[in-house]
Amino acid sequence: MAALVLPAGVLVLLLLVAPMLLLFRISLNEFSPTQMMVEATTAANYFRAVQDPYYRQVLVTTLAVATGSTLLTLGLGFPTAYWLARMQGRWKSFATIVVMFPLLVGNVVRAAGWLALLGNGGAINAALLGLGVNAAPLPLLYNTGAVVAGIVAVVLPYMILTLSAVIEGIPRQAEEAASNLGASPLTVFRRVVLPLALPGVIAGSVLVFVLCMNTYASAVLLGGPQFKMMAPAVYDQFVRGNNWPFGAALAFILLGFTLVLTVVGSAVLGRCYRR
Amino acid sequence: MGSLVLDALGKRYGASTAVERVDLDVGQGEMVALLGPSGCGKTTTLRMVAGFVPPSAGRVLIGGKDVTRTPPHARDTGMVFQSYALFPHMTVAENVAFGLEMRRVSRAERETRVREALRLVRLDALEDRLPRQLSGGQQQRVALARALVVNPAVFLLDEPLSNLDAKLRGEVRMEIRALQQRLGLTTLIVTHDQEEALTMADRLVVMERGRVRQVGTAEDLYERPADPFVAGFVGRCNLIEGRLEAQGQFRASSGALLPCAASPAPPGSCILALRPENVSITAGTDGAGRLKMITYLGPQTEYHLDLAGTPLLAIRQTPSADDPLRRLSPGDAVTISWDASAARLLPAAQPETGV
Ligand SMILES: Nc1ncnc2c1ncn2[C@@H]1O[C@H](COP(=O)(O)OP(=O)(O)OP(=O)(O)O)[C@@H](O)[C@H]1O
Ligand SMILES: [Mg+2]
Repeated sequence: MAALVLPAGVLVLLLLVAPMLLLFRISLNEFSPTQMMVEATTAANYFRAVQDPYYRQVLVTTLAVATGSTLLTLGLGFPTAYWLARMQGRWKSFATIVVMFPLLVGNVVRAAGWLALLGNGGAINAALLGLGVNAAPLPLLYNTGAVVAGIVAVVLPYMILTLSAVIEGIPRQAEEAASNLGASPLTVFRRVVLPLALPGVIAGSVLVFVLCMNTYASAVLLGGPQFKMMAPAVYDQFVRGNNWPFGAALAFILLGFTLVLTVVGSAVLGRCYRR
Repeated sequence: MGSLVLDALGKRYGASTAVERVDLDVGQGEMVALLGPSGCGKTTTLRMVAGFVPPSAGRVLIGGKDVTRTPPHARDTGMVFQSYALFPHMTVAENVAFGLEMRRVSRAERETRVREALRLVRLDALEDRLPRQLSGGQQQRVALARALVVNPAVFLLDEPLSNLDAKLRGEVRMEIRALQQRLGLTTLIVTHDQEEALTMADRLVVMERGRVRQVGTAEDLYERPADPFVAGFVGRCNLIEGRLEAQGQFRASSGALLPCAASPAPPGSCILALRPENVSITAGTDGAGRLKMITYLGPQTEYHLDLAGTPLLAIRQTPSADDPLRRLSPGDAVTISWDASAARLLPAAQPETGV
């Protein structure tokens, strides 16, 4: 058994952990405009990232967008997941495919779709102008709303599939028993469905939150040049600024926040209903 | 008017009919069992009473009030599910308290009533356990306590004993009946186990293919079955096809002339129903009877007989060791007889279901 698992384990370790270690080492180096990267052991890059108001703003934006998108995804995903989980017969596989469909389209292609929908010459504005509702195109693109919409559309399938797998495990009769005992549909949801679906809520939210924190395509394409989130900022440092150490430090700050928030968040959520 | 009335209740699923038409009147404190073969519509009927299945025809009245369109949570029914359906994330006490909470019963009263209900089902020591930490029988009793504690207008049980082993089933059966009588609960219980129905219920409803075949006490159904289906379903019965030739003279389709009870039924095609325990046999031949097989069952013995071409089952108390019947073996000639009044004539052609 061990002999079978070992090669795969080593490979995974090499592929996943080695780049991270390398990146961490880089984040401790110094940057010089002439020599690019200078070997060193300093936390200066980290200090700069948290002290610079610009990067602080980028971090706050990222956290706000990720949290908002996660909550919105949960709100939209739960009813859909419930509906999907309780569906029966051949429509169920059809509905599952429909839910998974967005996953078949790459992020960039999807963002392009949003551009075609929300842009100044996009479908919505064309319709509004054509109908004479508006005189000038509405600024639908390049704002937080457009980014959140783009992100939610990307991550929704993950949430729905995670939740519906858990909801399917909740016996239908437990809900019926609750309503038989006098619980209104809302109370059945609050007292029976939600607590029993909690593992799914936590798993789905963690998964989605991590995806949101690392948003790149939606932020760049739908947020426009003024809109900054962490992942594009990291990319800028590596590619445009050639400042690898600072980019690496930003990447680890992003990683750290994501890790701490998911751990703390799921612990708090779990505590609320802990049995 | 009873405290639960089903008025021409029916349910169709697309082209198929689950419940054709059920009329039933359950009195206050009465326990009625729905009995019938698998798929005859028992569960569907019960779920229409609870409100989980919207009827496609007819009405449900609880305490004289029409609740046909009332959602489940606004009907005052207490249901025990076949799978118990306990809330897995709540303790035993929380499970039992749930219905009281929904009824806005004060915390102090809730605690007293939960304790009382758990004592009633002998689970008071386990109130802090989770359902998964209980045995099947214990879970079953939690489900009972949870439904009983709210003192529902109608108590509904769907095969509540089917997940228990035979010994426990007998015990819990008695417990349920005792509780139901003590609390005076109007009860509808679904079962396909006729022994269960016969021992627990005041009255039985025999259903077949979505229709009520007969309603009556255990005695009514066993001794005065309305049709061959009921006769064959409740207890064992010899059902012999043939026609009534004259009063007390039944001609089996095999040709044998058999004695039967005097009946108002007009001469014509019908079915003779004869309980196996009413068939007596004696050693020695009259030329018509023959023994085909003997099954020894301890206190009773089954004799598979042939009476001039008509197969017949007799069940007798096992004869003592020196009785000549003890020396019979398959193939022997025997004399078969019965009291004419024990052989009842039933209508042959069953009205087909479907209008
Ligand atoms: N949701 C449904 N859709 C279609 N047909 C159904 C549905 N529920 C029940 N039926 C059909 O209705 C009929 C009656 O079902 P029901 O569950 O009431 O039977 P039952 O008497 O409880 O049987 P059992 O003793 O096996 O539990 C069956 O033929 C069943 O296939
Ligand atoms: Mg059933």
